[in-house]
Amino acid sequence: MSDGAVAILGATQPLGRALTARLLAAGRPVVAVGLEAPTGLAGARYERVDLTAPGSLRALLHGPCRAVRTVVNLAFHRDPHAPQAHRLNVELARELVAVAEAHPTVAALVHRSSADVYARRSDRPHLVREDQPLELDPAAPPWVRQRVEADLVVSTPMGTSPLRICVLRCAEILAPDQGSQLYDYLSSRICLRPMGFDPMVNVLSLTDAADAFARAVAVEAEGPFNVPGADTLPLSRLIRAWGRTGVGVPGPLLGPLYAARRAARRTRFRYGANAWRFHYNGVLDGTRAAEGLGYRPAHPLRTYQPSTS
Amino acid sequence: MPTLAALRRRLSRDAHQPLLPDRPPLGPLARRLLPPDVRARIDALQLDDAGHGFDPFGMSRDGVAVGLATTRWLYEVWFRVQSNGVEHVPATGPAVIACNHSGMLPLDAWMLGTDLLRRGPIGRPVRVVMDHFVPNLPWINLLFARAGAIAGSRGNVHAVLAAGGLLVVFPEGTPGIGKGFRRRYALQPFRPGHAELALRHRAPIVPTAVVGAEESWPQLARIDGIHVAGIPFLPIPGTPLPLPTRMHVWYGEPIDVAGRFAEADADDPRVVSALADEVRARVAELVTIGLRERRGWFR
Repeated sequence: MSDGAVAILGATQPLGRALTARLLAAGRPVVAVGLEAPTGLAGARYERVDLTAPGSLRALLHGPCRAVRTVVNLAFHRDPHAPQAHRLNVELARELVAVAEAHPTVAALVHRSSADVYARRSDRPHLVREDQPLELDPAAPPWVRQRVEADLVVSTPMGTSPLRICVLRCAEILAPDQGSQLYDYLSSRICLRPMGFDPMVNVLSLTDAADAFARAVAVEAEGPFNVPGADTLPLSRLIRAWGRTGVGVPGPLLGPLYAARRAARRTRFRYGANAWRFHYNGVLDGTRAAEGLGYRPAHPLRTYQPSTS
Repeated sequence: MPTLAALRRRLSRDAHQPLLPDRPPLGPLARRLLPPDVRARIDALQLDDAGHGFDPFGMSRDGVAVGLATTRWLYEVWFRVQSNGVEHVPATGPAVIACNHSGMLPLDAWMLGTDLLRRGPIGRPVRVVMDHFVPNLPWINLLFARAGAIAGSRGNVHAVLAAGGLLVVFPEGTPGIGKGFRRRYALQPFRPGHAELALRHRAPIVPTAVVGAEESWPQLARIDGIHVAGIPFLPIPGTPLPLPTRMHVWYGEPIDVAGRFAEADADDPRVVSALADEVRARVAELVTIGLRERRGWFR
């Protein structure tokens, strides 16, 4: 079992707060790094750092985090078109590997990735294992390309790096401010989906996600791990379970309709980044996480659906 | 009359209430169209249910009911499917059913899948492997996936066999159904993937033949240049509807893969190829038996 202090980059997000609470409860000192107000981080040492600023990461790891054993990278910018998005989503990961490898105490790096990194096609497996090809199509949306690039940057040194590296490819976390396109999609009262298609989706609760990261910090396992949630159901059922109304629309109309809605209502959901997942199944196979991390999802949808307001 | 405020609240993005009522589910209706013994078989299906009545591939009991209700009339009345040797299908553990492929459309796959669900081992989901283009077809992909069919990617079939499932494959692939009426029952080369997976998962292979499907919907010609939604070709049928030929399903004795081969043989292309050839020869024998035993296209 690994021990010592843990630095969490992006700790002010919901997942960061949940993970901080779990690690503190397990007796691990936590340095919580973020930009927003440190609510829900009682007991952790909070460091307000803009990680997009040049030199900020090196100063952090050799300053307030000079004694940490593990770094957990949850930081990301949810809008891939924002000026600092590539810096935070990709270049930070690259710099983190380099700085952590040369750091005197850091021994492990845990990186948050996403199920979006997998290529999804009709001829690809519908139950996705870690060895499935990543989405390397240059025409993929920036959202996906940045996640794939960061995943590759962190995964490539595995085995040759002095660090123990874990990459957790998480299913959709249905919670606010988690960068979940599915959550943004479900925030609309009427959810349009392609007629004649109803793919299987898997969703992850914050509690289960925090559990997976806490295990990745604690155990000695290394490599990429899929982190599925406890719920696997058709998209139409998810829409109903979320209290929304699903309406089937001819596929070619969905892009323009969602572009118009995005412009009119300033919604965050982008259909272009999700077209494949609205057609084909893509359920993460959690076998490797069960064996390597001891992780099994235990908190299904019905226990964390937001209350009616 | 609802007030404007109430209407606005109802339409607000945070009010978690569907605007429209749910459409009535098809499953219960489909079950009413099926005989009691088939309904009992559907209820006994052992699915890897993730808590919502669906397995990770999208199979559901209601979906199986819809599929069986859809094919009931075809199975019982139109094609009058006769089943022989279904006791050869293993009741447990990973198994591969390898069958010839014939006709203009894969009606043989429908009837074989239906036969296994209605007469095969009770409780076993049947995973018929469908071609890559089927998931691109609106509604059809749903009908097949809910009834248990899976797209034919290596990862999918690996997952099914690793979980001890019953896999139905057509090793001839699309050439089996696109070969035209004049070449009926001439088996096309078998792709060896099923043999390799059977070796890797120590799964017995049940050679199987469907006789009668070749004559059910003769294909006069095909247009190869049209690939709408990924279909490999556009068939030109000889009749407007399928003919009511009688279909005969023949299950052969399983090939004892685990007893005759080592798991490492899955990495030897010669062993894999030889096993695929053996399966093809056994299927050809069953086709010959089926043709000899039947008393005509319609009997």
